[in-house]
Amino acid sequence: MKKRGMWTIGMVGLVGALAMLLGACGQGAGKSEVDVVHYFSDTLGKTTVTSIFDAFTKKTGIKVVDNTTGHEDFKTQILVMLAADNPPDAFSYWAGARVQFVVDSGRLQPIDDLYKKDNLDTLLPPAIAAGTVYNGHKYLIPFGYHYAALFYNSKTMQKLGLTQPPKTWNDFLAMCDKIKAAGIAPIAVGSKNRWPAQFWFDYLLLRTAGPEYRAKLMAGQAKYSDPEVANVMKMWKGLWDKGYFVPNANAYDWTDAADQVANGKAAMTLMGTWITGYWNGNKLQPGTDYDFFPFPQIKDGVPNVALGPIDGWVMSKNAKHAASTLKLLSFLLDKGSQAPWAVGQGALAPNKTVDPSIYNSVMKKASEEVGASEAFNFNYDLATTPPMAEGGLTMFAEFMNNPSKSMDYLTETDKVEQSVFKK
Amino acid sequence: MSEGTPPPLPEVTPRRTEPTRRARHSPVARLFLYFFLIVFVCIYIAPVLGVILTAFKSNAEIASDGLWTLPRALRFDNFVEAWVSGHVRIYALNSVLVTIPATAISILFGILTGYVFSKLPFRGSEALFIFVIAGMFFPPQIVLIPLFRFFNVVDLYDTLWPMIIVHSAFGLSICTLIMRNFFTTIPTAMREAAIIDGAHELDILRRIMLPVSLAPLAVLATLQFTWIWNDFLYPIIFTKSDSMRTIMVGLITLKGQYSVAYGVQGAMAVIASIPTLLIFVFFQRYFISGLTLGAVKG
Amino acid sequence: MSRRLWTVAFLSVPLLAYTTIVIVPLVTSFYYSLTDWNGFSAQYHWVGFANFARIASDPLFANAIKNTAIWMAAAIVVPTAAGLALALVLHRGVRGAKLFKSLFYLPICLALAVVGQVWIWIYRPDWGLLDLVLRDIGFSNVAIAWLADSTTALGAIILAWSWQQTGLAMVIFLAGLTAVSRELTEAAEIDGASYGQSLRRVVIPLLSPATVVVVALSILNSLKSFDAVYVMTKGGPFHSSDTLAMFMYDVSFESYYMGYGSAISVVLFLVAMIVITFYFRQVRALEHLHE
Repeated sequence: MKKRGMWTIGMVGLVGALAMLLGACGQGAGKSEVDVVHYFSDTLGKTTVTSIFDAFTKKTGIKVVDNTTGHEDFKTQILVMLAADNPPDAFSYWAGARVQFVVDSGRLQPIDDLYKKDNLDTLLPPAIAAGTVYNGHKYLIPFGYHYAALFYNSKTMQKLGLTQPPKTWNDFLAMCDKIKAAGIAPIAVGSKNRWPAQFWFDYLLLRTAGPEYRAKLMAGQAKYSDPEVANVMKMWKGLWDKGYFVPNANAYDWTDAADQVANGKAAMTLMGTWITGYWNGNKLQPGTDYDFFPFPQIKDGVPNVALGPIDGWVMSKNAKHAASTLKLLSFLLDKGSQAPWAVGQGALAPNKTVDPSIYNSVMKKASEEVGASEAFNFNYDLATTPPMAEGGLTMFAEFMNNPSKSMDYLTETDKVEQSVFKK
Repeated sequence: MSEGTPPPLPEVTPRRTEPTRRARHSPVARLFLYFFLIVFVCIYIAPVLGVILTAFKSNAEIASDGLWTLPRALRFDNFVEAWVSGHVRIYALNSVLVTIPATAISILFGILTGYVFSKLPFRGSEALFIFVIAGMFFPPQIVLIPLFRFFNVVDLYDTLWPMIIVHSAFGLSICTLIMRNFFTTIPTAMREAAIIDGAHELDILRRIMLPVSLAPLAVLATLQFTWIWNDFLYPIIFTKSDSMRTIMVGLITLKGQYSVAYGVQGAMAVIASIPTLLIFVFFQRYFISGLTLGAVKG
Repeated sequence: MSRRLWTVAFLSVPLLAYTTIVIVPLVTSFYYSLTDWNGFSAQYHWVGFANFARIASDPLFANAIKNTAIWMAAAIVVPTAAGLALALVLHRGVRGAKLFKSLFYLPICLALAVVGQVWIWIYRPDWGLLDLVLRDIGFSNVAIAWLADSTTALGAIILAWSWQQTGLAMVIFLAGLTAVSRELTEAAEIDGASYGQSLRRVVIPLLSPATVVVVALSILNSLKSFDAVYVMTKGGPFHSSDTLAMFMYDVSFESYYMGYGSAISVVLFLVAMIVITFYFRQVRALEHLHE
């Protein structure tokens, strides 16, 4: 027992020396390299993005140090790094209110010059290009985007003879009635993490009150107790009252809702195109097993707006390897990078010069839908500032739990809005 | 022993009594005992079974069959994938390099401070004790930013050092708590006798206190090893290169923004739990009753 | 060497490390509670005690405190009692005790991210294990969506957490039982004491150092319990399972009110400090009573 203390100290010292050695090895020659952090941590995403980074290194000789951790912890990690003034050179982020938030916090480097130099604007459709500008400057390189639509089980729909996508709201309701009559739940929602319910709110609002009003609401210039919003909740509740939703939506995650559709327990779910990545992973076939139709028009004259998130890359202010980072950002917008990324993620490529043949039938349709839309809007939690998003998401979840109190929820959310936007 | 050395301390040897026999209970009591155990085991085993099932199923299987059904086939795909794409080898090595020193250092610290608080109290030592266990009063997210900044400034970012240092420092709290409380069960008379015999504090600590503290030391070794091994927060924040990551980071990295990786994560959880379980099994022998204060020899 | 010198020698290195790594950053983070920092921005302003005033009037905070208090009450009782029971049974010697001990320790060894997901799969209303069993034994009307129902979500998480924490309690009690020499218990039984009496009069008092540790750990782990909530419900549904630590994380890392989040963490810390100090005072008083 006497020797134990000595042994411990010796062991500690030895191991410590070893650790130091390994530590020294970790910090490689840092001259031409770029430090990145991203949230594409799933196996497929990671391999795809790593291969893109490797292609970049091959082309330019600049190493990319990828500091990625889990998607869940990304928020913590990036905040700590930025807050402690040791940010990565570039990191992935969600276009919209979140990038706006970071821009307003003074943490991002504008990249107008890069856009000018490499003529990057010519590569982007105007709807997407709009998402790269904040406070009048370019900050974001769009990497992939998704489109939210009603994804359905092809076999179920075929069996019920529903082959035509609904063109109007009444068509849609009739469709749901028919599905329900056959004993299948028309709509699955997996709102355990709240955000999947937002698409319903978004599309209902977009199709009735229009994108301009919605933009005002997102910016805190309209109220949640306005008649436009109250109407949305009424319509949403109407769907609920008719029994179209699978019960206990809050008990399930979006993947569970997707499973319900795939298993034939439900007919469709309002979700983003990433669901195709999930279903493909479960060996479903695009077209034969699943397909989608866009959210139906409700009111005449309201512009047809597409909804979805854009994943992009941003550059930190005072990045240590500025020149190399700019090269990387430009490379990421290149169609040679965007194509494999879109395929690997079940996403759509913002770069319009990408060959559409890389898409499967479903994704191609999605791409065309977005192209045909008059504008591209970010979904709720990316369209309004993060503290407000928290309040709104809670409201959607509360609604999916008990829609009868929807007016109360609106009043509550109004209060949140007031406290968030009063600054 | 040559002359001139101080007289030998009263040696206290841990004497193991005969192995614990099954208690002399009435059959009814025995039945009740076993019933109680079975109930507990069922409750306990359900989630464990869940993890194992997860490890042997694919995402598609869980999606279609649910989790609580037998796997269609006993495939080890998830394990293979976890080992290969999860970089388990590097990560496991890093976990070892972080966990063992941090465990050892924090226990060492705990022994020193625990001894002081239980046997060498002074005015204000109670307040100091609360001060020392205050490290357990808050979730670690709170101090991430200052710590990150600190390690950046001293140029230890992206090495294994921050994790070792932080775990050692934070580990002080629980190690002090446990060691202090167990040291108080050792009669002060023993210490006083030793002092009369001319021993100094380090001697007392090493020759009297520690030998009979095998049980709490074993507890600490097990618990600290497990906690440090299972931690993922510090490695995420304090490292950036893949070569510095630990095994738990590898596990949580597998889940993406729009994807799930239940099977591989389950497999990895099983793999990652083996070392901590082995440590527990190894240290179990010290939890056996009978490691009592033996007769005072000499 | 004098006793005082030894005290200093023993305390110096640990305290130095601890103060630098734990206390200084803690105080630094408390500083943010006096600002309006959003966690990202390089700039922020001094706001004095505005964040604390906000705490006083925030219903979500009151909600979090309430949930944390419930958790703490459950934590003091459930894992302690269960861990003690397990330790006593296994200590007594049953066939395969080693295996049982490993089984009860296993929960702590498993990665929380995975375990949390498994518990989600236990609590699911459609094919979750709990509801499957409940329906099988005829209690279908109780087979609800445990984690999605605001009345049961917190309890469900506490159960999952206790499942892990009990193993911890058991291990500490097992170690504590080694201090209870067999001679003492056997002597008591020879003197005619029943198992229950020897338990009450001999074993439990001798276990008090272990009990103190177990209860203290339960209190503290329940106060800062974040991971379990994060993985299973993220504080939902609608904040019904929000604890102080989860609420703090939400406010800081999701809503980006770092200043406010720091204020919450200050309160959390103070609550812990008060509870633990009070607890140890009580323990001290009881110890003197028994001597």
